[in-house]
Amino acid sequence: MVGKIIAVHSYKGGTGKTSLSVNLAASYARRGKKVCLMDLDFRAPSLHALFKDQKAEYWLNDYLNGICEIDKVLIDESKDHGNGGKLLVALANPSTEAIRDMTAKDRKWEMKALGRLLSLRSSLLNDGGLDYIILDTSPGLQYSSINAIVTADIVLVVTSLDASDINGSKRMTSELYDLFEKKTGILVNKVIADYLSSEKEQKKFDKHIKSVYSLPVLATIPCFCEVLRAAGDFIFSEEKPDHPFTETLDKLATKVEKF
Amino acid sequence: MSYNTVYTENTLRTTTMAAYRKLESKSTQLLEKIRENLEQLNEKIDVMIEIQKHGHRELPENLPEALDVMTLLSLPDHLRKTAVTLCKLEEATADEVAEQTKRARAVESGYLNQLVVMGYMKKERRGRKAYFFVDKEG
Repeated sequence: MVGKIIAVHSYKGGTGKTSLSVNLAASYARRGKKVCLMDLDFRAPSLHALFKDQKAEYWLNDYLNGICEIDKVLIDESKDHGNGGKLLVALANPSTEAIRDMTAKDRKWEMKALGRLLSLRSSLLNDGGLDYIILDTSPGLQYSSINAIVTADIVLVVTSLDASDINGSKRMTSELYDLFEKKTGILVNKVIADYLSSEKEQKKFDKHIKSVYSLPVLATIPCFCEVLRAAGDFIFSEEKPDHPFTETLDKLATKVEKF
Repeated sequence: MSYNTVYTENTLRTTTMAAYRKLESKSTQLLEKIRENLEQLNEKIDVMIEIQKHGHRELPENLPEALDVMTLLSLPDHLRKTAVTLCKLEEATADEVAEQTKRARAVESGYLNQLVVMGYMKKERRGRKAYFFVDKEG
């Protein structure tokens, strides 16, 4: 099987893209897959806070700048977080200077960056034998996230139940994902427990969500205070393998595998 | 029939076959040449149509374009598909693009030439093949 590239995107910030990306990657690693998780949110990098023990020679920024090849960026976290599989991470440079540098890039640079991202398919999936590359993107219509969407095979759109978020996600479907003919699935995150309190309620909720989006809803993830408490400090599904959140993410991983 | 007659007949058959094959390969070559010429004509017509549509002022010399994602988004659907495919392949012939998009070669050739005229791509002839690529340095 040739590996797949998954982009995790959303219209608004704070929907839980990073948390879902990390736990989805961990879920695949647990089933023995070789996964690479990349932080493509150059405006607000976040993965460095989670994987702080090891440092790579270079940042993902440097790879896109053409300063180094991708192998110099990848950090092998398999020892601590592999759990039977392989977990590689590529981090975005969190320094203010780097963020400023990345926001000031011109169109020509973005075009080259797209080329560098597209070539990851041959270097990491075909030659490197990885099963999944998960791209954690920045919210909204920005160069880095659209580059990630063009590169990806599958786009997972994380949305909350906030009206502006739902409207924005719907608009992005017709004005972005469809235009690039991407396989797209919706993840409804932070759903209030009341909506999912019984099977009947859950069915009613699923029906409502399906009527809102023209896309398949791959997961409805309840809002768990415990997950919020993890505060991006550790990989939740790794610490709590029996928690309903972990179960939901494992189910999602299976669905995406067959998607 | 004497041995000599058989021998002559066989030689004659071999010579005729050889002549026939030569003729066949010649006509194939000729057809190939005609096809090539037709393709080049088609490309030229595509270019002329584009120039007529946009006028000389918008030609690439005056408007260097980058084929970034925002530009990809602004392209009409049929051209976007071709452009994204070429971005993925980096460099390709119309045949190779057509194989990916599952559209006819002649269609892709038209779209690729249109994108060249619009200034988003470059084209280079190497021998009998035309290669298209996104100019990242220019």
